[in-house]
Amino acid sequence: MTGRRRGRLVGAAEITALLLCVVAFATPWLTHNLFVLSVINQILIATMAAYSVHVMLRMNLLSFAVPAFMAMGGFAGALVAKHGGTNVLLVGGVSFLVPALIALPLGILILRLRGVYFVLVTYIFSEILQLLLFETPHLTGGSNGISGIPAATFLAQSFSSSAAVLQIAAGLALVATVVTAALCQWCEQPFAAIDENETLAASLGLVIWRFKALGFVVAAGLAGLAGLSLVLMLLTAHPSSFSPLSSVNYITYAIVGGRASILGPAVGSALLVFAGNIFSSQGEYSPGFFGVLILLVVFIARGGITGAVHTLWSRRRKQPASLAASTKLQDLA
Amino acid sequence: MHGIISAGIIGIGLGAQYALLALGFTLIFGVLGVVNFAHGGFYVLGGYVGYWAVSSAGLPYPVAVLAAVVATAALGYLFELVFVERFVDEQLATMMLTVGLYLVMSTGVLAGFGPEPADFAFPVTGSWHGGGFFIPWANLIVLGVCVLAIAAVYLVLYRTDLGRALRALADDRPVARAQGIRPHLLFPLAFALATGLAGLTGAVVTPILTLSPHVGDSVLATSFMVVILGGLGSVTGSTVAAFVVGLIEAYSDVYLGGSKGALALFLLVLLILIAKPSGLFGREARRA
Repeated sequence: MTGRRRGRLVGAAEITALLLCVVAFATPWLTHNLFVLSVINQILIATMAAYSVHVMLRMNLLSFAVPAFMAMGGFAGALVAKHGGTNVLLVGGVSFLVPALIALPLGILILRLRGVYFVLVTYIFSEILQLLLFETPHLTGGSNGISGIPAATFLAQSFSSSAAVLQIAAGLALVATVVTAALCQWCEQPFAAIDENETLAASLGLVIWRFKALGFVVAAGLAGLAGLSLVLMLLTAHPSSFSPLSSVNYITYAIVGGRASILGPAVGSALLVFAGNIFSSQGEYSPGFFGVLILLVVFIARGGITGAVHTLWSRRRKQPASLAASTKLQDLA
Repeated sequence: MHGIISAGIIGIGLGAQYALLALGFTLIFGVLGVVNFAHGGFYVLGGYVGYWAVSSAGLPYPVAVLAAVVATAALGYLFELVFVERFVDEQLATMMLTVGLYLVMSTGVLAGFGPEPADFAFPVTGSWHGGGFFIPWANLIVLGVCVLAIAAVYLVLYRTDLGRALRALADDRPVARAQGIRPHLLFPLAFALATGLAGLTGAVVTPILTLSPHVGDSVLATSFMVVILGGLGSVTGSTVAAFVVGLIEAYSDVYLGGSKGALALFLLVLLILIAKPSGLFGREARRA
């Protein structure tokens, strides 16, 4: 098994996901409505975090470590912006690399765990990181967090307005989409083999740990980009932005959207973040709404929204074909 | 010396509460193979049912506790029957179902009782004092109830046909089924027993701690820690681990302060999970 896809490299889902990022980037030229800009920014952040969940789900691993890696990326980016440089490429690169590099040794330790044990270890890891953020005030600002983060810059241009921050988020989401699509395409067969039956895949010669480690490292980097976007939007890096249970939200986005395609996390994030904002006056009830959606998806549409649409589309395409076949048979008779 | 003994007494009290919580959690995993993310939700629900029964229905506190147990057990039974049963062999699906239920439950409690902590006070006040120690009666009563409930669970599991059947299902489901044990009848009962225990803990513990819609989050984290330490699915391991966690928490609160104790505990649990996923005391009850 080589792991290389032998078909087309880019499908409709990947193109649509990339186009959505481009549309988000162009939004500030279409509207100056701050509510719209804010909602789109939140959707982009949620999409990047949901990509992280998506990559792990492709290997049948449910990760609760997304907020932990988001915190690493967000705090690393904030520290670099404050003490190093504000260039968006530098800050973005650091936010991807720091969690990815930390994920490598961590992955070696925890990736031999499966199922519920992996879920528990990632949850505990998120709890530990949350406590570490509070216990290391000299580095992270402790309970005050890091504030006064200077605006990111690129080619002498400063991105300080809401519109500019959204464009940075769109750029980062574009990078995250390309990375996720490339990884999922390149590792499609190994990931599918691990998902289907890890023991059988190993017995057929697949080097499981290599692909799992790669997936885990990239998922950590993607979460780091989401963390940076969140920090840039809030203008502060605070531990409360990365609570361990917020991972439930990102898992919900990925599963409600659909696990089979890269479009799933984007659709799930867009729908749920939008709905959450529409009901913002009743914001405390949005977890209940998420809960109902999760129950519905598990019961009715196991493939999530994109999976259900794909199934309906396939049925509609099959119906005319079967009708044509039966007409042909009648003609022959 | 006085401080060491005081912290030890607090630790044993905490350990008894954690044991009651963890027993339900580990029972569901051991018998059904389901990680119940809604366990903290049943704890909160038990607390609020007790609070409502005392403050709105005017029932005496012991009856309110009983009502909490019955309500949470009934909801657990129904949830298993309607939702979990269909997907009982699919770990990811059952995890998502219990996450969904927890979100719905905590939001329901929030909608019904508001975000502010409820004024749910223990009906017994005052302290026992002897040998230079002052221990609130409420804490002693809660400790007594927890110990009795733990003993009752052990009695059910090790001295009744129901318990034997549940343990058989936990050991080897196909063999148990071949022996005539019917999982579709026992799974909802096991779920109800576990959620009833969480409800009982909520009703007796929240009056001495705090009752608000989101206290279930920390309860879930604690349950995770205890069952990992004791071994997922291991009843005895969870009981011992609960007291270990309670004592570590009490001593670290007194001698380390802040969240350093919790951090040390989480790190310990992480290391154990990496080195020995089956926990300190248990065998691997179920292949995950």
